[in-house]
Amino acid sequence: MGRIFVLIEHRKGAIRDITWEMLIKGRELALRSGGELTALLLGYQIRNLAEKLVQRADEVLVVEDEKLSNFNGEIYQRVLSKLISEYKPALTLIGHTSFGMELAGQLELPITTDCIDLCLENGALKAVRQMYTGKVNAEISFIGAPSYIVTVRPDVFPAEGQQTGRGEIKYLSLPIEEIKYKKFIEYIEPAVGEVDITRADILVSVGQGIGDKKNISMIAELSELMGGVLACSRPIVDKKWLPKERQVGLSGKTVKPKLYLAIGISGAFQHISQIKGGHIIAINKDPRAPIFGVADYGIVEDLFKIVPVLTSKLKEIKAG
Amino acid sequence: MDRKSGGKYKSPRLAFSECDIFFSGSAEHSSFSNTGAIVDIIVCVKRVPDTAGATIEIADDARRIREDGLVFDMNDCDKYAVEEAVGLKKKYGGSVTAIALGTEDVEDILRMCFVTGCDEGIRLTDKAFQGSDAVTIARILHRLIQSMKFDLILTGAQATDDGYGQVGSALAELMGISHATLVIGIEILDGKARVHRELEGGMEEVVEIRLPAVLTIQTGINIPRYVSIRALMKVAQKEIKVLDLKGLGMREEEVGESGSNTSIERLFLPPLTKEMEILPSDPGEAATRVVKILKDKGGLV
Amino acid sequence: MDGEQSLTEKYELFGCIQCGRCSAGCPISLNSALNIRKLIREVTVHQVLEPIYEQGELWDCTTCSICSLRCPRGLKPHEVLISIRSILAEEGNVPATVRDALEETFKHGNPYGQIRSKRFEWATDLKIKNFSQGDRAEILYFVGCAPSYDPRLQEVSRALVKTFTQAEVNFGILGNEENCCGNEIRRMGEEGLFEMLRADNIKLFHNHEIRHIVTTSSHCYNTFKNEYKDDSFKAEHYTIFVAELIQKGKLSFSKEIKKVVTYQDPCFLGKQNGVYEEPRFILRSIPGITFVDFERCRERSLCCEGGGGRMWIDASDSGQRLGEVRIREAIALGAEIIATACPFCLLKLDDAITTIGLADKIQVRDIIELLAEAI
Ligand SMILES: Cc1cc2nc3c(=O)[nH]c(=O)nc-3n(C[C@H](O)[C@H](O)[C@H](O)COP(=O)(O)OP(=O)(O)OC[C@H]3O[C@@H](n4cnc5c(N)ncnc54)[C@H](O)[C@@H]3O)c2cc1C
Ligand SMILES: Cc1cc2nc3c(=O)[nH]c(=O)nc-3n(C[C@H](O)[C@H](O)[C@H](O)COP(=O)(O)OP(=O)(O)OC[C@H]3O[C@@H](n4cnc5c(N)ncnc54)[C@H](O)[C@@H]3O)c2cc1C
Ligand code: SF4
Ligand code: SF4
Repeated sequence: MGRIFVLIEHRKGAIRDITWEMLIKGRELALRSGGELTALLLGYQIRNLAEKLVQRADEVLVVEDEKLSNFNGEIYQRVLSKLISEYKPALTLIGHTSFGMELAGQLELPITTDCIDLCLENGALKAVRQMYTGKVNAEISFIGAPSYIVTVRPDVFPAEGQQTGRGEIKYLSLPIEEIKYKKFIEYIEPAVGEVDITRADILVSVGQGIGDKKNISMIAELSELMGGVLACSRPIVDKKWLPKERQVGLSGKTVKPKLYLAIGISGAFQHISQIKGGHIIAINKDPRAPIFGVADYGIVEDLFKIVPVLTSKLKEIKAG
Repeated sequence: MDRKSGGKYKSPRLAFSECDIFFSGSAEHSSFSNTGAIVDIIVCVKRVPDTAGATIEIADDARRIREDGLVFDMNDCDKYAVEEAVGLKKKYGGSVTAIALGTEDVEDILRMCFVTGCDEGIRLTDKAFQGSDAVTIARILHRLIQSMKFDLILTGAQATDDGYGQVGSALAELMGISHATLVIGIEILDGKARVHRELEGGMEEVVEIRLPAVLTIQTGINIPRYVSIRALMKVAQKEIKVLDLKGLGMREEEVGESGSNTSIERLFLPPLTKEMEILPSDPGEAATRVVKILKDKGGLV
Repeated sequence: MDGEQSLTEKYELFGCIQCGRCSAGCPISLNSALNIRKLIREVTVHQVLEPIYEQGELWDCTTCSICSLRCPRGLKPHEVLISIRSILAEEGNVPATVRDALEETFKHGNPYGQIRSKRFEWATDLKIKNFSQGDRAEILYFVGCAPSYDPRLQEVSRALVKTFTQAEVNFGILGNEENCCGNEIRRMGEEGLFEMLRADNIKLFHNHEIRHIVTTSSHCYNTFKNEYKDDSFKAEHYTIFVAELIQKGKLSFSKEIKKVVTYQDPCFLGKQNGVYEEPRFILRSIPGITFVDFERCRERSLCCEGGGGRMWIDASDSGQRLGEVRIREAIALGAEIIATACPFCLLKLDDAITTIGLADKIQVRDIIELLAEAI
């Protein structure tokens, strides 16, 4: 297998995690097949990003143009198509994200999406992806072709790995036409106080075990450090410690997070029956609390002992 | 894979390299006038098994799951797409046509579309469609839609069963029109739409897109109405048009497995999630483990 | 619209004298904007019902039926309200949590979205006859949705099985063939789905030649008895059946329960079906129990807010929950246990205890749990 392309995903001047994850996986495939790992960086005023990438790839191809300054699927698509037909990579990796989904479907190369694993078997590419909301894995094969595209599910591959020496940065100049039929207008940051727990990947959910309204802030801080959204059981809403839209359960909301951290929640059926999917970590001091019947991981301990330590640990990590 | 090497291969084509064709092509399809605010909408709906609480078994050929005992429903995002289409029709005037690909069973979900307010329903069906990949599904839909008049095509962002999340954007590519994925807000302007896209971490992106266009709808864009049994009974006799391979003017090689670039080799169950693992109750050790789980399972740095 | 016409005609609302006895007795009116007298007036007087449809408080009613019990003209105000809900439901215009409960019931036969093949799981370790496996029995024990799936309520189902077994009752259950009874579905306004469930269930009962049904829940009992309109079978709430077992000497007690116990009359057992004596008789038969009645009891009993689909809707109000009022009343009575005979009452009261943090003072138990403990 020849060259492997990784399309770099970045937003507002920062490289997104999926990029590092794809670079790790891409490196593994490149090593096995003796190919080269190439990072494709498209954007505007992104030279500093190229510097960061060069430690992880054999080559960084940079296309810099003002028209690429905000992500626009259609412009990116054209550039990507050009690069693919010019460099003929054996495989292009794109994130299965709001960014990648805008692009990937347009290409007429053999493509499969949302993969959780990739491997080379006798030189042929095989992909593993999940179906039925993660209940079944499917092994996908491709018809013979010189080039494939795969979109990769975020948070599946590790983002950290060995550094692979300094590659080369190449600045390309491509003529890029103005696109008039799709225009970026703006980004909207999530408004403070406006939350949608049904869409969150990580939920940090607090129950009556928290004891007092003033302790909620401690859980809110933890949630923020985890990049999660704060949720709760109904008694917390009844007491007006948190607003109704945070309530998980039969008379609240049905949630589908990837990770659910239940803190001081007993695990009543009305609560847990509306957590669909994902891994549950429960912190509860009662070893017989029903939440442990559905949790994947349990910590049987006072939450006031666990949460502060976890919080400071996360702070340490964030501080680098 | 070897079994297919030497098979058909479509060379990469530069998307949208022929801008002019795009523009002239669009005018034919769209009924959109500069002054009028009428939108004709096509919405694609898929019937999927509701597997949320079910134990899934894999069929003997290892390429399908056993469907007996499963309950079927309209794909989740598609319910939102239908509601959105009907909402837009109410607001701007126009029509909504629902299309589904599949056997007679999918008429159930087309009838749900009628109840919500879709005007017409079309079902595409043929034995030869079996084994089609997402791009091929899009190709079949394209063949029908090609001849229709519309301003907007709405699909779900991703199906809950196969979950490729590709049909919408592939369809746009085939039609030669623009698209936006993961849409959580639509406003029709003069000849274009202003749409909100859902990005990770609660962020939104606002883009303007020229009509006609394909939008793939994400859950949460609206609150889909309940479809009541009595309302369903009232539309039980409403006509659903049915078209097959021939009716669409397609050839067998274009569809099904032979028309597809990818195929499912085998299905297997992911390793069983074990019983609950009890983490150490020492706060330091527990925290270390939680951080590791966070990293492994999808969160954090 | 002819719907309005027929509401007034169908429920003979011209007979209403606007005396306000209905609304004066309505437990929900304490916390909610719902005024049933006013609603009846609006339905009769106004030509257009649309503004009524917009009133969120329509979903606050627990269908406890106090209003109908108190009406001097013998009208059925709560049925009028259910009819308005059914107009809304037919249009698809229901709260999101109700929509989910209805969709799940259509798909899985229970409003919790639990998978059908797991309905029987709670009983897999018990040796119970199962009609769906070809077993035959004299009595069908109809478990119900909540008591099949909710782990807290499964304790109640187990207690019933223990009681039946001790009394050597020849009983069986429907296993995974069991379906939602539809009582709450009808009260959430989904007439069509209710009719479908009723038809399915009646067919099931006929197929298995079932003549006698005993239910855990007062809600299932109510609909089987009053709304199924099929006299090929007799439906009883377990309190009626078990009281008879005690009377016939089929049950013997081996333990005392030395507690002060009061009893919450479930609306669907008491007010709607006049079953007041049997539950009290059972409680008094259990050795050791000191029974005290609430001041407000029997037809005046305070509703727990668990009926009328309210298990899936939180009221639009923000006042104190009736369950909490009830718990405080019980504590004032000196009761250590509130007994009840309805899964929803049990959950609602249990929830109230959790919320006000009085779990060390008082407990909620189903009557049958106390009985099973004593035999
Ligand atoms: C009709 C109906 C609808 C309902 N709908 C919902 C709903 O939508 N959502 C919902 O959440 N509930 C709902 N409920 C309520 C539900 O039944 C439970 O009462 C509720 O979920 C309990 O909340 P909790 O777990 O926070 O509180 P509790 O049950 O009081 O649990 C608190 C837990 O915290 C633990 N704990 C205490 N102190 C500590 C500590 N220091 N460290 C660690 N652990 C500690 C305790 O061991 C206990 O397990 C509903 C109930 C009814 C009847
Ligand atoms: C027996 C069998 C064999 C198969 N073999 C293969 C195979 O070899 N390779 C392969 O890639 N896939 C295969 N599939 C999967 C199947 O063809 C997928 O449904 C298809 O790839 C579309 O992907 P998706 O449903 O994930 O679409 P997504 O892109 O996730 O769906 C997005 C939206 O597209 C629309 N849509 C999707 N499907 C339909 C439909 N049927 N009718 C109307 N609208 C629709 C809906 O609006 C939906 O919300 C097989 C399926 C079966 C049953
Ligand atoms: S049924 Fe009960 S809650 Fe409903 S209106 Fe009548 S008295 Fe009020
Ligand atoms: S109690 Fe009966 S007569 Fe009196 S206001 Fe209510 S419905 Fe009318």
